[in-house]
Amino acid sequence: MEVPILKQGDFLIASIQGALTDTDLTGLQEKLVHAVRRHRSKGVVIDVTVLDVMDSFAARTLRSITVMTRLLGAKVAVVGIQPDIAFSMVQLGLTLEGTITSLDLEDGIAMLKAANNKDRLGKHGR
Amino acid sequence: MVPPSTQFPERFLTLAEMMNISDQELARRKQILEFGPEDEARLQKLAKVSEEYAQEVIDAFYRHLLSFEEMKAFFPDSELLARVKAKQKAYFIRLTQGNYDLDYVEDRLKIGAIHEQIDLPVKFYLSMYNFYLREVWKHIFEIDHEHPDEMMEIFFSLMKLTFLDIALAIDTYIDSRERTIKALQQEAIRELSTPVLPFREGMLLLPIIGQIDSQRARQLTEHLLLSIRANRAKVVVIDITGVATVDSRVANHLVQTVDAARLMGTKVVFSGISPEIALTMVTLGIDLGPVYTVGDLQNGIEHAERLLGYRVEKVDEAGLPRETM
Repeated sequence: MEVPILKQGDFLIASIQGALTDTDLTGLQEKLVHAVRRHRSKGVVIDVTVLDVMDSFAARTLRSITVMTRLLGAKVAVVGIQPDIAFSMVQLGLTLEGTITSLDLEDGIAMLKAANNKDRLGKHGR
Repeated sequence: MVPPSTQFPERFLTLAEMMNISDQELARRKQILEFGPEDEARLQKLAKVSEEYAQEVIDAFYRHLLSFEEMKAFFPDSELLARVKAKQKAYFIRLTQGNYDLDYVEDRLKIGAIHEQIDLPVKFYLSMYNFYLREVWKHIFEIDHEHPDEMMEIFFSLMKLTFLDIALAIDTYIDSRERTIKALQQEAIRELSTPVLPFREGMLLLPIIGQIDSQRARQLTEHLLLSIRANRAKVVVIDITGVATVDSRVANHLVQTVDAARLMGTKVVFSGISPEIALTMVTLGIDLGPVYTVGDLQNGIEHAERLLGYRVEKVDEAGLPRETM
């Protein structure tokens, strides 16, 4: 299933609509990296609210999206991980370290904004 | 500290071990009843007659038992009844076969435990011994009616053995009951002791009291994650003042809870690690990793407030700022 990527100001929103195959995931990764480049985005929100499974491949892909987009100067927030998914991910040792995670889309955007602000302030030495 | 032996699942222990019945304890029980090797020898003389009448006695006993209305519920179908009868028969025959060792005890305990589990009232369970003894008495002189004294001795031996069994059966009943009560209590404590309390907007408080095992850690984490979503929490303060010991397993569970909460975008602050626990953890080389810890609940809440951007201010009667915290 194709994942639509929406542009919202400085941010991109990838809203996952249903179960994803491994091909879908690699497709998403590629599309996102290109989109970040094209729109010169500051952040990417990946909304996984509807996902009811998160396997190691999906977790790894999310990690590599984080790393890749960081190289392009954007941050990634994974939002809407369901409680039971969070629990099983932790048991499998998939903790998405280094990725911003948040409860929902709204929070995710707020967190990305805060992180970007902090970076800017940091660069100018407050 | 919980001794390591109690951490093993109970199913690996025999009933006798669970009830602390060792060879010494068995010897002691026999001693109390004055049950000696000569009794064992005498009982074997009963073997033949016991086998001969076992079926008859059992049929009579269950007819008697089932004449009580409340007993019918325990044996709803004839298949079950036949199974129970077969067990009971094996039991009676076993009584006169010698080797009254720990295996014998284990057997007895199992039968007791099964009856306890189906909630058979102990009065009915014990009536079986009464019935059995009387039946044996009726037939005992068929073995040898020329030596009534000797037959009496045999009967006394049988009585000692049945009393040994009765004691074991009652102990199983008590033990099972205690176990059930304890399990219920623990469950109640478990449910009572893991409340997730909304403390401020976006802040949850989770005081943990008592032991943390895998099952409880799981339950606790699930409960916390659901509450995080329901309350849209951003920060959770987990207070472990009431946790007596933290070993590597517990620490592992706590780290998992923190990781799971983080996946949902929530920060976790740990509070209430006592100096003793801190010392044990360092000695054991336990590392909580990236988990943020503070000394007591007050610090925990203050830190959480800072994370959320709250500032608590003390005011005088007129509501004017007096002193900031």
